[in-house]
Amino acid sequence: MHTPLIGVSPEIVKIRELIDHVADTGLNIVITGETGVGKEVVSRVLYQQSPRNNKPFIKVNCAALPDGLLESELYGYEQGAFTGAEKKKKGKFELAHKGVLFLDEIGDMSLPLQAKLLHVLQSGEFAPLGSEREIKADTWVIAATNHDLAEKISDKTFRADLYYRLNIIKIYIPPLRERPEDILELVNYYTEDFITQFSNKNIKKLDNKTIDAFLSYHWPGNVRQLQNTLKRILILGNGKEIIEELIRGESDFPSSSKSNIIKSTNRAASTINTSYNFDEEVTDLSNFSLKEIRKKALDKIEKDAIQFILSKTNWNRSKASKILQISYKTLLYKITELNIEQPSSVINE
Amino acid sequence: MNKQAKLLIIDDSDVIVEMLYQFLKSKNYDLVSASNGLDGIKLFNADAEGFDLVITDIVMPNISGVGVISILKNKRPNLPIIAITGFGEHPESLAAEAHADVVLEKPIDLNILNQHISDLVRKNSTYQSEVK
Repeated sequence: MHTPLIGVSPEIVKIRELIDHVADTGLNIVITGETGVGKEVVSRVLYQQSPRNNKPFIKVNCAALPDGLLESELYGYEQGAFTGAEKKKKGKFELAHKGVLFLDEIGDMSLPLQAKLLHVLQSGEFAPLGSEREIKADTWVIAATNHDLAEKISDKTFRADLYYRLNIIKIYIPPLRERPEDILELVNYYTEDFITQFSNKNIKKLDNKTIDAFLSYHWPGNVRQLQNTLKRILILGNGKEIIEELIRGESDFPSSSKSNIIKSTNRAASTINTSYNFDEEVTDLSNFSLKEIRKKALDKIEKDAIQFILSKTNWNRSKASKILQISYKTLLYKITELNIEQPSSVINE
Repeated sequence: MNKQAKLLIIDDSDVIVEMLYQFLKSKNYDLVSASNGLDGIKLFNADAEGFDLVITDIVMPNISGVGVISILKNKRPNLPIIAITGFGEHPESLAAEAHADVVLEKPIDLNILNQHISDLVRKNSTYQSEVK
């Protein structure tokens, strides 16, 4: 199925132009952007516009599989390579020969597998598990991640040499809140799409009030969230409450303070103290179970995080629940459970 | 050489572009510059046969220098390209693999750069006239 890249914003126009220039090159590409912005869509458009579009497009999610399994998925194995390897299996690299291998969530790949991937990219060859024979693969690798790989390099969790080898072409897709002019285009596209897909249902297009709510909402889950919300409204019919949720969410979350809060929150998230002081916390060794420690430590981190966000939002619980990505109800429950007290200096909402 | 050699400079640092521009202008080159790989390729395509040499940075937004070299060399295999890099050995070896004619590491010595430019342009114009 043809997957178009929807949007009229300068950012999307630029991405289309970039795709036009690189789709026929077979050069390694990294697509970055927040969850739900459409990284896979871009990879599929690249594939469709490339001379490889009559060969396979194979997707592997590097975060979804444990290391050993991911390795055998990518490179395949010989019969008897490990317990359970009853017959030989081709890996995705081989299956994507002459086509495209889309490595989603590349930022989550372990260091040993990164080393192996680098070797394949350098030599164009790999050996299935349990085999000494190297197989040549002409595979176009397109990788995607919502992580900042440069940051992962400084944390030493991503190899710099692999980064440079993959990053020959970089495509960054900005979040939807930074390109609101695309919202209407996306709504129109998906509405038409749902009308075709669910032809038995009499789907009515969104009214103006809902469209306004869509346009002013900040869409933290990006295009995917918009698509799901639209589906819930148009097909499942529980529209009224969703729209109220969107309107309420946006009025609680003025755009001027939004980006500042997000920036400072991201910075703070990395500074919250995650260490656990045993001397101070553990007084009775008869209660020293790992499970108990785990719960206490998690509670402590959660408490710190919630307290921090509440102080940033001046104890606006609705704003805080959005930032923490938990429901309002859960936040209220956590405040009670974790004994988080509102400082007297804070003026109530 | 009768006409001025036409060079394309691609670098995302305004400071570097300005420095190269001023220096190479004084050496009487005809110059065009771009601040990222995609713009560089678009400018190149607008006069693909007209450029005598390309100078490109390696680490850049959208299309990296390695991408630029591969794409341009694919279009014109004999086009002389000088890659400039400031980031360790990985991009350098990639630039060489992508067949950059010369790879220079920042900080660059402008006189050495100029020497490479004249050598490559001269060599290429001799080659072009032999082909003709």
